[in-house]
Amino acid sequence: MAAPAAKPVIEAVTKYTQATSLTRFGLVPTPKKGLPKDKRTRLPIPPTNIITRQFAPSRYEDHYYNTLQDDVMYMTYIHERGPRPPPRQIRLRFDPEDPYSKYRKNPPVGGSHLGRQPPPPSSPENVTKLEKIQIHTMIKQAMTSKSEVLGVIMALRALSGETENGGGGKHTAEGVQIVKGKKQVGGWLRPGIPIGAKVTMKGQNMYDFIGTLVEFVLPRLREFDGLALPIAGSSLNKPSSVSGVVSMGLPPEAMGFFPQIEVNQEAYPRQYGMHIHFITNAQGIGAQDRARALVSGFQIPFIRTIRQ
Amino acid sequence: MLSRSVVATCSWHTRCFARTLATEVGILSLASTSTDLPPSPKKTPRPMISAAVILNRSPLITRSPSTFERAYYSYQARLRRALHNPFPYDFYFKEGSILETRFNVEERKRERRVFGPLFGIDDDVDQEKAKAARAAAAQLAEQEGEYEEMVPRLHPSDVSRDIKSLDRKGKRNIYLLLKTEQDVWRFPQGGLEKNELLHQAAQRDLYAECGQYMDSWIVSRNPVGVYKPPVLSIPGQFIRPEVTFFFKGHIMAGQVRPGEGISDFAWLTKQEIEGKVEKNYWDGVKDILSDY
Repeated sequence: MAAPAAKPVIEAVTKYTQATSLTRFGLVPTPKKGLPKDKRTRLPIPPTNIITRQFAPSRYEDHYYNTLQDDVMYMTYIHERGPRPPPRQIRLRFDPEDPYSKYRKNPPVGGSHLGRQPPPPSSPENVTKLEKIQIHTMIKQAMTSKSEVLGVIMALRALSGETENGGGGKHTAEGVQIVKGKKQVGGWLRPGIPIGAKVTMKGQNMYDFIGTLVEFVLPRLREFDGLALPIAGSSLNKPSSVSGVVSMGLPPEAMGFFPQIEVNQEAYPRQYGMHIHFITNAQGIGAQDRARALVSGFQIPFIRTIRQ
Repeated sequence: MLSRSVVATCSWHTRCFARTLATEVGILSLASTSTDLPPSPKKTPRPMISAAVILNRSPLITRSPSTFERAYYSYQARLRRALHNPFPYDFYFKEGSILETRFNVEERKRERRVFGPLFGIDDDVDQEKAKAARAAAAQLAEQEGEYEEMVPRLHPSDVSRDIKSLDRKGKRNIYLLLKTEQDVWRFPQGGLEKNELLHQAAQRDLYAECGQYMDSWIVSRNPVGVYKPPVLSIPGQFIRPEVTFFFKGHIMAGQVRPGEGISDFAWLTKQEIEGKVEKNYWDGVKDILSDY
């Protein structure tokens, strides 16, 4: 009974999909009332909060979800029997009724034990994942002339595909930001003066950046064997080891290897080195190792340094 | 990628964990031995443990986006193009250079793809000038060899249905399946030697059945799944139950050369594996394999 009834529906669906294009849209409706305009730029302010998201499939993101996520889960899985026991109460429990402790802090005994927190129990939800990549560059010459920062800003724009305020529309990242001095360092740094720029990339831009870095830049670097792993037996309790961040630096010569800068390298007043941080969601003891395992899955090489 | 894949991966993982969490074998085997096996007065027979490798060739090319994804992407591209900051022409190009002309021609194409074929038609006042610009841009592109043919997304082995080729089904995960001399299709597997660890046994058995002529990597020391075939209970006879632990592996280079006891091999997708293996085996391994 159901089969003959279903047929016309399928026909109608195919007819509909053939008739309308999925990638074409109708004409933009002309607003009836004039939009309010930005005083400075004199551009219309859209009445809705428009967020721009991913606009093309990303090869490296595909690679993560097809291959890397499973592999990283299998590699970092730690089996635990049953739920974890609650942490041992060393100090008396906080009692809100007690007038002594009511408005006082109750810090854990012996510090926060930041470096000794165990990783959260392995689950499909907390498989190590790349959350964002941050690039930052400091330029010493900006101390004497502010305009030196402009070259850095343009370089970071070209590298990351981000501009100020996300480049029209709302965006999940803040775009290229100017870094200003915070401290007074004699003869070198003053508070409030611009000394560099940074940019945070997420999603599509982040995966595209890894692709360029791995395919165009790292293979062309001279005398680069890989990021140095810590010496065997080094402490695992350091704050950097439990934060799940992998950091690397690129020398100024590497800037010209990025194809988006190579096309008009003469437009930049000088070459800039940069620090790159791969920020993952790994937490707890061994978080940096799990982050390294993930980052190496994107073909960023690591090398073990041997103690002399 | 859109949330479809994320959801697919997550749900696949959850199901994988719910069904065959390999390290829970102790609890599972205790439960099953008490019900399935014939009552034994002395002790339960020890299971025969074997290690199998699910050898995977990862996708070579990105998969084609679905209809929904295409519509979503083109909508987002249109939004972004409508709202983007002005392009700094003077920073990237010399005034009036061929490169700039070429960029303008290409940019116009991209805009028309997004906003429709009539976009910017009023800007082309001087038809001859526009034509000259297009010709110059095309010549420059030709000099740089940009009109070379791209590699097709379909490999010849897909057309000839060569299931032994490692280049087939470039968009999909494919897995190695072996055919034994008893005409049974299964993943490469073998027994454990004395004092041998499971992941070492898996590597050794893979080489024994598939030859040394491939570059492979076993991902983890933890098994990713477990399979227990149903035990045939014959009264008055003790049969040792079998337990197979699965390990995930990747092939990097080379090809399989079937060893002793293996008559054939094939590189198959998840859906193709279902038609080859037995029902019980399929139920045991289906959640380990990737859907696409």
